[in-house]
Amino acid sequence: MHGRHRRRSLLAALAALPLGGAAATACSSGGGPDRAQARGGPARITFWSALRGSQEVVDAFNKSQDRVRVDFEQIPGGQQGGYAKLRNAARAGNAPDVATVEYPQVPGFAIDGVLRDLTPLISDRLRKAVLPAAFALTTFEKRTYSVPLDIEPMMLFYRRDLFRKHGIDLPRTWAEFEDAARTVRRKAPGKRLTTFPSDGGSRLAGFAWQANGQWFDTRNGAWEVSLADGPTRKVIAYWQRLVDEDLAFQNPIDTPVGVAQIAKSQVFTKMSGAWDAGGIMGSQPGQKGKWGVAPSPRWDAGNRQVGTHGGSTFAITKDSRNTEAAMEFIEWQVSHPDSLRARLSSGISSMYPAVAGLVPVARKAFDSGYYSGQDIYTLFEKEAEHVSDQWVWGPRMTSTVRTIEDGLARVEGGHGTILGAVEEAQRSTLSDLKSLGLATREG
Amino acid sequence: MTATTPSTSTAAVRDGEAPASGPGRRRTPRKRTARQRELGACGALMTPFFLLLLTVFLIPVGGAVYLSFFSQDQPGLGFGPERTVFAGFRSYEAVLSDPTFLSSLATTGLYCLIYIPLIAVLALAIALLLDSGAAKLRRTAQLSLFLPHAVPGIIAAIIWLYLYTPGLSPVVDLLNKGDIDINFLGVNTVLPSIVNIAVWSNLGYNVVIFYAALQAVPREVLEASVVDGAGPVRTALQVKVPLVRPSAVMVVMFTLIWSLQLFTEPMLLSQSTRVVDSRFTPNMYIYDAAFTRANYGLAAAASVILLVIIIALSYAVSRWSNRANTPEEAAQ
Repeated sequence: MHGRHRRRSLLAALAALPLGGAAATACSSGGGPDRAQARGGPARITFWSALRGSQEVVDAFNKSQDRVRVDFEQIPGGQQGGYAKLRNAARAGNAPDVATVEYPQVPGFAIDGVLRDLTPLISDRLRKAVLPAAFALTTFEKRTYSVPLDIEPMMLFYRRDLFRKHGIDLPRTWAEFEDAARTVRRKAPGKRLTTFPSDGGSRLAGFAWQANGQWFDTRNGAWEVSLADGPTRKVIAYWQRLVDEDLAFQNPIDTPVGVAQIAKSQVFTKMSGAWDAGGIMGSQPGQKGKWGVAPSPRWDAGNRQVGTHGGSTFAITKDSRNTEAAMEFIEWQVSHPDSLRARLSSGISSMYPAVAGLVPVARKAFDSGYYSGQDIYTLFEKEAEHVSDQWVWGPRMTSTVRTIEDGLARVEGGHGTILGAVEEAQRSTLSDLKSLGLATREG
Repeated sequence: MTATTPSTSTAAVRDGEAPASGPGRRRTPRKRTARQRELGACGALMTPFFLLLLTVFLIPVGGAVYLSFFSQDQPGLGFGPERTVFAGFRSYEAVLSDPTFLSSLATTGLYCLIYIPLIAVLALAIALLLDSGAAKLRRTAQLSLFLPHAVPGIIAAIIWLYLYTPGLSPVVDLLNKGDIDINFLGVNTVLPSIVNIAVWSNLGYNVVIFYAALQAVPREVLEASVVDGAGPVRTALQVKVPLVRPSAVMVVMFTLIWSLQLFTEPMLLSQSTRVVDSRFTPNMYIYDAAFTRANYGLAAAASVILLVIIIALSYAVSRWSNRANTPEEAAQ
């Protein structure tokens, strides 16, 4: 019986393993650009991404020149198996030349040796074009491991119509936001101003970021981990109060339940990165003209500082044998207007480009009819200036965020507190990093 | 070559040796051949076992122990080149200070406390019923009890997941209609729900073990108890149950080992309830450490710790049963 069950679990484990299929297609790279050009053909590189619109971008790039040919493969989103696929391919030695990695995962992949140090490959032009706060997030010990595509300041998306109906003014500070939450609860039974997202580990990070929190710090040559530092405690106490006094719903929001709450007008606001302007358009087509976008509430009116939520970067993996061609493609992808136009042409997207020069292009390409013609890109531009640059993502961010969310799921079920969930993630993350042999310090 | 009769063996010897060697010297090579054949048979029969033991147990365990002590380290923040170093008990300290590992152990402990007594008592009770002859349709009952065990764990979990999920499940629907609002996948109910899947899968198997043991109870002992005036209940509890104790020990031990390795059912349930997190049981913790955290040292150390716990608990169960047996046997 024992043996049988053990075999059974093993089979299940094997079945659950993300298959490293398609790895074979990644072998087609190879041969430097010089060699390829000597043969007369273009250099071939491979590119994996989960970002929508990537195929259009690749097609536009391939059409724009004949030196480099990109073979694109759409892979699942990071948490849906995309990162596991990339990691497995790297272990097998056939990772693609270029891969999309979100900001929080950059240090982890860099430490594991999956990503190349791009510092010598990045041109001065590109270095100057990208927002310094974005590059700061992908640079460790003066080595840059990936090139930012977009930077996504946390915004407040709100139902203009419902705010007007209930006589609520747009909250500029978190105190005003709390007052508005009380008003909504009083005036609109069964409805709430907002939801505390129990699947929102990365949103919580964005809130802590805004409050000047510092979950990870590398300034002293070690990973100083302090998920429950003073500013974060302030943020947590705020949301715990909103939840305890029943001023906010508490449930996952990037799920059918969360989408339904918004569809039924039970929730008046949503806090997300700038990219979600497109997300809301896609998921709530019936609410056209009802939404507005505003800056995230501030802790005090004098301090404009804001955090981010989301955002992607492009990296070259250790298995790339064609780094110059790969970098040429990346530079085109993040900084060429045709690339942005191609990406936005694929459907509804409102990503805020990390290359400031592209903002006018995005503004022109984005149809702002859904937001009643509001100039949201000018708003994003103002907010992006205030993204504070102290933030550092940790080396096992997927697991840190997931541990927080596991705790928040229990909080939702009535067990424990938000602070408890974050403190557990703190201890678990420290165990993780220590076991990896990294220099750590408890902050 | 078979030397079954003296004549053939003599013939064989005659072929190989000089006929003048005499009976004394003839017996020695014959004996050696028999012994060699015995050893050969032993070897042929045991080799597969030892080969499998070596390749699917000892080498992986050795690999896990190695991985738990040696690590590919980079100094400082970790962005430099890797080198293999002896890490000592670093990974073990990390696992034992990780609250999520400790809570996975606690969850499994609670699961064992609910599941093991439940299945042992239920299986024994049903086996006693079948054995007493009180139950009609014994064969049908046995078959229907045993059938779920033939369903692979992953399929069982899928079936039950369907029955547990609100909106999909006819059971939840029916209960809702009767104004009973129950969430089988809630914080407090999910562990009993997993226990329920395990009972459904394994009850029949354990009933068979107990039933076989009960069938082996000598009939004259039972007749003697009837003559002494014991009713069917008393016979069952005071005569039959003590006699099937070795089977009970076996059932408890196998169930314990299986429970500590709980993986399939919660892994599948974690897809549809966030209450079952990615590190719900030690095996899930190990899987998560290796495949989502890419932290092989941590996964290996957790595996070794789990192995040690399983060995220690199995040993404790067998010691406890030996000790419990001794005074009785002495009394007899």
